[in-house]
Amino acid sequence: MSSEVRKLVERYLPDFPIIHCGKIYRDTSEFMNISYGDVIALNGLHYMVFRDEAERRFGMEDPKYWVKRCQVLETGERCILKLVFYESFPMKIGPFVIRCHRSAEKEGRILDLVKDDLRFMQGVPMKDEKGNLVRVLKLIRGKRLDVAVGAIPVDHRTYFHEFFPEILEKFIGSCEAIAFLHSHGEKHGDIRRDHLWVESGTGEYRWIDFDYAFDFFENPFGLDLFGLGNILLFLVGKGHHTSQKMRELRFGEDVFNALPPEDFSLMFHYRLVNLRKLYSYIPEELNRVLMHFSVGANVFYETVDELLEGLYPCLDLVSRP
Amino acid sequence: MDFKKILVAVDASDNSVRAITYVAEMVGSSNGFRVELLHITRLPDKDLFPDEKSWDEQRLRQEQKARDFLKEARAILENKGMDPGAVSERGLCIMEHSIAKNILEIQEEGGFGTVVVGRRGMSKAEEFLFGSVSSKIVQYAKHCAVWVVA
Repeated sequence: MSSEVRKLVERYLPDFPIIHCGKIYRDTSEFMNISYGDVIALNGLHYMVFRDEAERRFGMEDPKYWVKRCQVLETGERCILKLVFYESFPMKIGPFVIRCHRSAEKEGRILDLVKDDLRFMQGVPMKDEKGNLVRVLKLIRGKRLDVAVGAIPVDHRTYFHEFFPEILEKFIGSCEAIAFLHSHGEKHGDIRRDHLWVESGTGEYRWIDFDYAFDFFENPFGLDLFGLGNILLFLVGKGHHTSQKMRELRFGEDVFNALPPEDFSLMFHYRLVNLRKLYSYIPEELNRVLMHFSVGANVFYETVDELLEGLYPCLDLVSRP
Repeated sequence: MDFKKILVAVDASDNSVRAITYVAEMVGSSNGFRVELLHITRLPDKDLFPDEKSWDEQRLRQEQKARDFLKEARAILENKGMDPGAVSERGLCIMEHSIAKNILEIQEEGGFGTVVVGRRGMSKAEEFLFGSVSSKIVQYAKHCAVWVVA
């Protein structure tokens, strides 16, 4: 136990159990060693570490040892510190395996770019004593968008007419946010359902986690577009429609068997894209946007602006019951 | 446009070897053709490297590979009878995203009437995610012939 940490705790966090006071870290290189009760000193402030963040994927908790849930001792504010963890790893996307890199610099640049733009998580990049680029992130209180949509306790028709118009409007705002990044030469890099959050209170949609980098040079925004297409499909369908889901929803075997391969996702061949075949009230124009992400597509979106051009007219169409 | 002025865009792949071999067979022993071999090295994104040093090492490796390939490509043309004086080489390093866009800019500036590229053969899904240089050239080329060698 460091006496410096003990003094800080006694001053700013008197209810914290002294027995758990750890060490003070000014160099965050060895992030695995930093845990509950340790304090990270950055730019004149002290961050008490409570725990490592974790992602829940495929029913398992996946700890992220480089992401620390903290409290600023001097101000009492809760925040997240993302420490530098350079890794390069293969990521599976549909049938492809691509090499992904985690880049603190990229995330730091984007945080600077989107400062005060509440369509994105907010934070400040700052260097520790050893020059590691730590990102100090504000907490977003809310829910993942997919979880929020999945929890709406109504059937699809009711959802589509009563809830979806507002969801689409907000999602269009989220697409515009990604177009803004692209117009500045940046990519989100990891557009997934669990990286778009609905903020409690305001109900605004906010993107999180920008540290993935890829080398997709000829179609640099293809991966982001693919992610947006997946989320849109989820939102229109109030979930993804696989054969299993369709059985749960009581669509007959004959409906499923009548669907040709062209109606399914270009990347995930088990995921239905041509949702209008199940829900005839989905406007043709909106379904056409979805079909750009299907096996049957002959033309693909190259930019988010092209996707938005397809989506804008749909706003009026879905607002009409 | 001078269709006998040919720009062959290469990237040190087997597809490029096929494209050069095709050009060599088509025009190698004929008169009046000029061929420029263009190798565009897209420098890797710095975000993908832990530091400047490892990025620089990768850059040097790529540049050397490009130089070696251009020599090999010239030899293929000359072996088919192409006048060495009618062959030129150009190596470029770019940081921007689209190689196709760079190729078409050079085609226009240089007044090349023919552009030749190799094609790997991509699935729809690959083209959506990764993009295709040859597809973009076919889509956006103006005032020239495009030979795509698959």
